[in-house]
Amino acid sequence: MATVQHAVHDTHGAFEPSLFGTYSKKVGMWLFLASDSLTFGALLFAYSYGRISNPAWPTPFGKESIANATIMTACLLSSSLTMVLAVMAANRGDKPWVRNWLLATMFFGAAFTVLHAQEWTRLIADKMTPSGNPWSAVPLFGGTFFTLTGMHMLHVTIGVIYLGVIALRKKFLPVLLVLWALGFFLTPADSVFHYGIHVLLVGAVISAIVLFLKPKDYDANDVEVSGLYWHFVDLVWMFIFPLVYLMSTKV
Amino acid sequence: MHDVSAVHGESKGTYLWVWGALLLLTAVEVVLAYKQVLQPVRMLEVLLVLSVVKAGLITMYFMHLKSEIPRMRWLLTISVTGCFALMWIFFFRDADRILTLGVK
Amino acid sequence: MDRRAGGGETIMATSEVVHAHAGPQGFIRKYIFSLDHKVIGIQYFFLALTAVWVGMFLSLLMRIHLIWPQVNLPIVGHIQPETYLSLLTMHGTIMVFFVLTTAPQGGFGNYFLPIQIGAPDMAFPVLNMLSFWTTFVAFVVMLAAFFVTGGAPLHGWTGYPPLSAVQSTGPGEGLGADLWITSIAIFCAASLMGALNFITTTLDLRAKGMTLMRMPLTVWSWFITAILGLLAFGVLLSAGILLLMDRNLGTSFFVPVIVVNGQLMGHKGGSPLLWQHLFWFFGHPEVYIAILPGMGVTSQILSTFARKPIFGYRAMVYAMLGIGFLGFMVWGHHMFMSGMSPYSAFAFSLLTMAIGVPSAIKTFNWLGTLYKGRIRFYTPMLFAVGFVSLFVSGGLSGPFLAQPTLDIPLHDTYFVVGHFHLIMGVAAIFGIFAATYYWFPKMFGRMMNEGLGKAHFWLTFIGTYAIFMPMHYLGMAGHPRRYSQLTEVAYLHNLIPLQTFMTYAAFITIGAQFIFVINLFWSMLKGPKAADNPWDATTVEWTTATPPPHDNFGGQTPVIHNGPYEYGVPGAARDFVMQTDPAVGAAH
Ligand code: HEM
Ligand SMILES: [Cu+2]
Repeated sequence: MATVQHAVHDTHGAFEPSLFGTYSKKVGMWLFLASDSLTFGALLFAYSYGRISNPAWPTPFGKESIANATIMTACLLSSSLTMVLAVMAANRGDKPWVRNWLLATMFFGAAFTVLHAQEWTRLIADKMTPSGNPWSAVPLFGGTFFTLTGMHMLHVTIGVIYLGVIALRKKFLPVLLVLWALGFFLTPADSVFHYGIHVLLVGAVISAIVLFLKPKDYDANDVEVSGLYWHFVDLVWMFIFPLVYLMSTKV
Repeated sequence: MHDVSAVHGESKGTYLWVWGALLLLTAVEVVLAYKQVLQPVRMLEVLLVLSVVKAGLITMYFMHLKSEIPRMRWLLTISVTGCFALMWIFFFRDADRILTLGVK
Repeated sequence: MDRRAGGGETIMATSEVVHAHAGPQGFIRKYIFSLDHKVIGIQYFFLALTAVWVGMFLSLLMRIHLIWPQVNLPIVGHIQPETYLSLLTMHGTIMVFFVLTTAPQGGFGNYFLPIQIGAPDMAFPVLNMLSFWTTFVAFVVMLAAFFVTGGAPLHGWTGYPPLSAVQSTGPGEGLGADLWITSIAIFCAASLMGALNFITTTLDLRAKGMTLMRMPLTVWSWFITAILGLLAFGVLLSAGILLLMDRNLGTSFFVPVIVVNGQLMGHKGGSPLLWQHLFWFFGHPEVYIAILPGMGVTSQILSTFARKPIFGYRAMVYAMLGIGFLGFMVWGHHMFMSGMSPYSAFAFSLLTMAIGVPSAIKTFNWLGTLYKGRIRFYTPMLFAVGFVSLFVSGGLSGPFLAQPTLDIPLHDTYFVVGHFHLIMGVAAIFGIFAATYYWFPKMFGRMMNEGLGKAHFWLTFIGTYAIFMPMHYLGMAGHPRRYSQLTEVAYLHNLIPLQTFMTYAAFITIGAQFIFVINLFWSMLKGPKAADNPWDATTVEWTTATPPPHDNFGGQTPVIHNGPYEYGVPGAARDFVMQTDPAVGAAH
């Protein structure tokens, strides 16, 4: 009787009902997302502020860039669809389909990141840097672009790792390590992604710690909570895409 | 384990519709932007409204905020949008000022 | 559609959390990487205690330098004017982040929020542990800034660019400033983890009967503080990231065209005003993060030691909510001199004055609680009354500063330093002292020494007033803030005697803190054993064993029948009714 389990199991009504009417993990994730939306919001406000005070803002994104970004957007939107289908499958208790839909979500997420990385590489090859660009004398153009999309790319990458852990658990670790190694050897040594890819290594280490210290079967709630994070990342892109890309289409 | 889909009261059909609507809105945004249909400021406004609609669809349907209890729904959305509204009101006024008063 | 199903879910989620840390085994799991909110609370407390000594030591060096700029100190050597700015920056940052944000919320909030609502632990114990250790890392990174080449940064706790945004602006603005910003960013992450944990716990883990309007005001204050933290720290995180980019990647978010030491920098098109907006959007809520828990503790203690229900419980709750709400709309009162639009200044001025209303409600309700009370002047009560006193003296200068016309001459003078030290610095510290003396018996199972406590109170109370009250006068006489060359400027010469007096007062006040530390450690080891409820208080933490067992209530979850401050209840057997006592008639 001395342990807390008892207290909790014996007296199901020992607590007041949750004020948010749902389980704690979901509340926690929503609160995190509220704060993360302020983090992104502040970045978007910094971007808009800079844009307003620099009227000569360049508009360099031509057909290919916009097409590319539109495809990326479609990828993210589709990944949200597959994510919500994974949650549905989890609620039916249909484990194989949870995994399949999660893998599909990860596929779209990864496709988004790869497309975006290629876009970055092109822009960098065009001599766009955080402090300057060939199209104008407004250094903030590059700075805001790389900050906003970089922060978002980081969130997508974390999301893919998160979903991978939920979908495959320990089996995901070797996959992640292989992706890291491939990324490291396939990117040229002077590319930012040669170093950026180490996010995967860090992710693998953290995932390993979580998976070994707290091994468990992820249930429908875990899937739903991971879905919340994923949809949020999608949502943020719905603002970055028009503000950063569409407002800078080449005339 | 409770039956979440029953609680959410949504089906594959709804999700497909939402997905379609999101894609459609994206297409509208791209066309508007690419054809430069509107003047910059007006276009920004239209794009932002469309983005807010998209964000609303995502939170309400994909994130199931629609089926959370009203207290949670309203407290979360109001606190976050309230902060944004404040930033909107007070930040941009000064971004303009630099143009009109300051050294460029 | 039955959303009450969620209630069951919550408890299942809880039980899973609890399974994860059933019995702590071994020293490391029990004391270092503990998941028990009580251990984590004590860890936070000692982190803050360490930080406050560092911060105090730095302030002493500053006071010495102001009066005797030529003196050669052991170890520290001869303080340069630039070093003065480093000391000032680190003093402010350590005090605001690692003391005032850490001790009241991370320390006492962690320890007592779950117990006061009848929960076995926080909603997410692992996150709780991570939050402490992340804060610890942030502290280490912050201290590291002292030891790198160039030393600690010069830009003050507000980190204003362009000083903070360009590496070559001064000695500490190299690696030291990078470490400073990194530390703040880590601290943001830690605070976010803490905040969402506090909020979820309050929403989900209140024992049966602990309705919102039966929560002790301490719980309300920690809850509201957590909400402020959740919304404010995310913004500071972004601002910090952008500042790091400006410094290291050459972006220009906060830097316009600028010449540093005769050299044109590559930056262009940014705005230091943007930093001020982002920083103060966080910064003003932050000052309430520091003070709200103190308000909660003061309410709790005044009611307990006046043996009276708190005057206007609901008004107190609404006032705190109002302060939290308005606190997000007033950040511009720090920017009247920044070149911000005067229309914004007008709005911010009015909104700032509006905060005076809930602040006054709180003050009058505290006084109402004391009125005709049968007051027991134990040390916690002295510090709580001291809190009210400081809150009033510091708060009265607020409405002056809130008016742009008055703030223009007063801004960036010692007047502001006096204002925020009284209201945020010392008042919040008094809240921490009050909480320490009040809860020490529950936390460590022994009583603190009353005589030493009273001596500590009077010396500190008089000492802090002697240091900070004259600052208002210095400010009006034109003494600038963040300025070390007091003895070099003719128009400041007449102020030297007053400054000298303040430095001696600082010596005495800091000396008095040794009494506190001795009392603390001596009582921990040798103090008389404490009863379970030494103060005849009513809230739930006093119903459980001293110190509380691992899950707080030995396997039971308390059931709550009464409001938090049922003192002097007519017809009751004792002069107080605990929250867990069977219901008392019509009371609440
Ligand atoms: C009625 C209540 C209050 C009013 C009207 C008020 C007003 C102001 C104003 C106008 C300033 C800016 C002065 C300047 O920089 O020129 C200021 C500064 C400050 N206030 Fe208050 N205040 C109030 C309460 C508080 C409280 C409760 C706290 C802390 C818990 C606080 C902490 C601070 C701090 C830390 C600063 C200085 C920040 C800095 O520039 O480094 N104030 N206050
Ligand atoms: Cu303020």
